[in-house]
Amino acid sequence: MQISTDEMPGGITRVALDGRMDIAGAAVVDLKMNLIAGSAKKLLIDLQKVDFLGSMGLRSIVLPARAVHSRGGKVVLFAPNEMVESVLKTSGIDALLPIHHHLDAAVAALA
Amino acid sequence: MLALPTAVMHASNQSTDASSPEPRLTLKSQLADLTLVWSWVEALAAQHSISAETQFAIQLCLEEALSNVIRHGYSGQANQSVTVACTVECASTGRRELVFVVEDHGPPFDPLAHPHAGQAPAPASIAELEPGGQGIRLMRSFAHRVAYQRLPNGNRLTLAFVIKQ
Repeated sequence: MQISTDEMPGGITRVALDGRMDIAGAAVVDLKMNLIAGSAKKLLIDLQKVDFLGSMGLRSIVLPARAVHSRGGKVVLFAPNEMVESVLKTSGIDALLPIHHHLDAAVAALA
Repeated sequence: MLALPTAVMHASNQSTDASSPEPRLTLKSQLADLTLVWSWVEALAAQHSISAETQFAIQLCLEEALSNVIRHGYSGQANQSVTVACTVECASTGRRELVFVVEDHGPPFDPLAHPHAGQAPAPASIAELEPGGQGIRLMRSFAHRVAYQRLPNGNRLTLAFVIKQ
């Protein structure tokens, strides 16, 4: 599991996750996700390269998102694959953290 | 950091085909051992020509079922064991199912009776979302069939997945 960040125009922090968000993957990214969530106001979580998402992986997304929300920030989820998206939807998380498949729409949602 | 896995494959049902996965996996009750489930399910998926979607669902459900046993059933005691057995069952309709049976010898723990067992409405805000409470909802949704049985000295959770032709 790998995690990388870059700053986009408009004060958006893009976090790209790459790999399996299973229990081991969640353990790898948790610390960095929490650090990012401690300062980001507009967080775009890029899920394009996530090929598995389990309940512990969901937790690694929800807790940082909650931290950003609690400071008045915004979070969007970007481009999950079909199965990862079905996990997000089954959990009801898509109603709380919008999912976008086009970068323009994801960026607009954070404006 | 997770510790190295220590699980062993049971050799009680050895196959004549050396490439076939064992039908039963025994894990120590530590989260690090869950890494062994991934390759085991991959091998089973190859053996039974399981679709990528069904393989995803199996991984999702087994990760949840096993982590529940380790974290809740055994309360984090790392020296216990949990087994997963896999069989193929044929229904009268001709439909085939890949059936996983997870057994432990912990105190009674019925995950399907958990308050977050998938019956509650989805949370209304991110602040209300229970971070670890989605697993049972996912298992109910992604497995074709989920059943719990209390054993005299443990628990049995059965998860079945339809093998699409």
